[in-house]
Amino acid sequence: MSQTPKTTFSRLDETDIQGFVLRGYTFPVARFLLMEITDGEKCRSFITGVIDGITTGERWDRGKPESTLNIAFTFKGLARLQLPDATLISFPVEFYQGMKARAEVLCDSGRNAPKNWDPIWREEQTHIWLAVYAQSSQILEARCLELAQLIEQSGGVQIAGAQDAAAIVFDGKPSAKEHFGYRDGFGNPDYLGVARDTQPGQGKLMPDGTWAPLATGELLLGYADEAGELPVAPVPHLLANNGTFMVYRKLHQNVKTFRDYLDRMGQLYPGGKEKLASKFIGRWRDGTPVELSPDKPDPTLTADKKRNVNFVYGNDLDGARCPIGGHVRRTNPRDAFGFNGALINRRRISRRGMPYGEYVPEGAPVSDHTEHGIIFMALNASLARQFEFVQQQWVEYGNDAHQGNDKDLLMGNHDGRGRFMIQGTDDPGNPPFMCGGLPNFVELRGGDYFFLPSITALRLIAAGKVDPR
Amino acid sequence: MPNRSGNVYGLTILSPILDEAKREISHSVAIRNYLAQLPRDERGPFARLSSTHLCRMVVLDDVVFVGYPAREEHLKSSYLVFETNFDGELETYLGRMAREIPELVEATWGHCVGYPGVSDVDGFVAYMKRCQVTTTFYFADVNDKTVQQTLRALQIQSGLATFIERNQGKPAAEIQAAFADFWAAVQSASPLRPGAKGVGVLPCFITDTMSAKGPSFS
Repeated sequence: MSQTPKTTFSRLDETDIQGFVLRGYTFPVARFLLMEITDGEKCRSFITGVIDGITTGERWDRGKPESTLNIAFTFKGLARLQLPDATLISFPVEFYQGMKARAEVLCDSGRNAPKNWDPIWREEQTHIWLAVYAQSSQILEARCLELAQLIEQSGGVQIAGAQDAAAIVFDGKPSAKEHFGYRDGFGNPDYLGVARDTQPGQGKLMPDGTWAPLATGELLLGYADEAGELPVAPVPHLLANNGTFMVYRKLHQNVKTFRDYLDRMGQLYPGGKEKLASKFIGRWRDGTPVELSPDKPDPTLTADKKRNVNFVYGNDLDGARCPIGGHVRRTNPRDAFGFNGALINRRRISRRGMPYGEYVPEGAPVSDHTEHGIIFMALNASLARQFEFVQQQWVEYGNDAHQGNDKDLLMGNHDGRGRFMIQGTDDPGNPPFMCGGLPNFVELRGGDYFFLPSITALRLIAAGKVDPR
Repeated sequence: MPNRSGNVYGLTILSPILDEAKREISHSVAIRNYLAQLPRDERGPFARLSSTHLCRMVVLDDVVFVGYPAREEHLKSSYLVFETNFDGELETYLGRMAREIPELVEATWGHCVGYPGVSDVDGFVAYMKRCQVTTTFYFADVNDKTVQQTLRALQIQSGLATFIERNQGKPAAEIQAAFADFWAAVQSASPLRPGAKGVGVLPCFITDTMSAKGPSFS
């Protein structure tokens, strides 16, 4: 049972933690350079050359930088960098195995099976994830050109692939929407010691109904977690401290399938298409929480940081407002399982997703086959306990939510057989409704597990001085 | 009340395993070898005992305290541990074990001290009761419904979901007629076997999409 850890941390060393860990960058464009290490020693020189450019967690009080740079490694990458065996065997097994080998655990079968992934992920070519976010495409290109030169000169690392991502632009402005038209990115948790413009509803629920930050160790290695223990971490502690694990999943979105399904079912659903879309997720497409505004989207509510993530399901246990299997309710059940949310506090992840590909406006001709989707990235101290649990038990299975075998409507690997129950009420505009024959709205195209080290750890790795003794 | 939680009986058996020095393989190893090759799905022997919610068989070698200071506390022998949660009465269940899965009983308890064999059912029941230890914890995932009630509920839930999926939005008279068909299908559906594939599905309510690759909306 989770308890508030006795120790509190007034402040983390933000200069030692990669900025990507502590905050979601809301930049319009990004590129993820997926790199293969060909020579460990020369690659270490390359890392030495980029360390000073790595964006740390320092606050952007004097304005946002023009671009950011962050770095993470797969297990195979760390092995090619010749970390000592005593260190390598101390990593958690799921990280050692990598995401491809975890396919069975993650229910990545059928269309989502590794054999259907993009070659770069299927062949596990990525050893380093080098992420550049920028204020504009020009800045992004310039920063990537500099990096490309360093990579070229290194002779120890090469770009196996590059994944572009960009916020979807509406009326000339980058938005937080994804390709199905939902505003995304609400509800990341707060952590003790991580400075942030906190919003009620973002941490863990306390017995008195208030919200408090999660223990730091749910995100960062080297700190107490919600069980009051240090997360499982590699040795030496200097390598692990202030680092975290990242899951990277390229999720292709079948936009045509989604829109056709919503149109077809929206005609049958007495509440209408947009209300049906809101029931799928638990948020209206503009982001309004269904739990707080079940009948219509409410822009003032969506804009109100005191309210837009501040809700519980305790008064809606029958799913009359937000369906019990709605996406946001499944993946962040808040108090829905009782015990004041204590059962979920060790299953939280910090999401850092970003769309990729061309957005097709509603009504325009659309295909499933063009490259569009979301690069889902999530950070957690334990891939197995946090991300993998959420994926297996809450996305690909419904027992905890009392939904039997039903999977998450949006993310589930349904293969045409999925089912989603909308509970509803006696109100003719809010009736119970069954969505059957669910196809895969989202398909996995690859990804892997990464270790995102601290700046100190990066220096140890670059210098070849990781010493597990 | 010990050994019973609502409708469920919780049985714990500890049977001492024979110890013969000159055997080629020990009785404990023989039991383990047998258990290791048992199927774990609906082909498993306990699937035939249709009132079983969950059961487990374990060979307990010894008890060792692994904290500080480490201490070995030796048992008088190895034990066969059998734990099961089932519906109904103890003697009925033990009698069914003797009659319906005698090969499992022989292959495991046949290596235990004092085992009388299965041909004398009353003798086997009496033997098992002598090996019984009080049970106070139960398999949590049973909400006081019998296995058959649970399977039936799953069957109806799944069938009803399909019924709703097919008929929602239709005129009331059509829904009523369809419901009569559905209800008739429910009434005449044959009882389910535990662990069977597609256990919740009424045969006539398997949807088209369940066997197809996926719906096409083009």
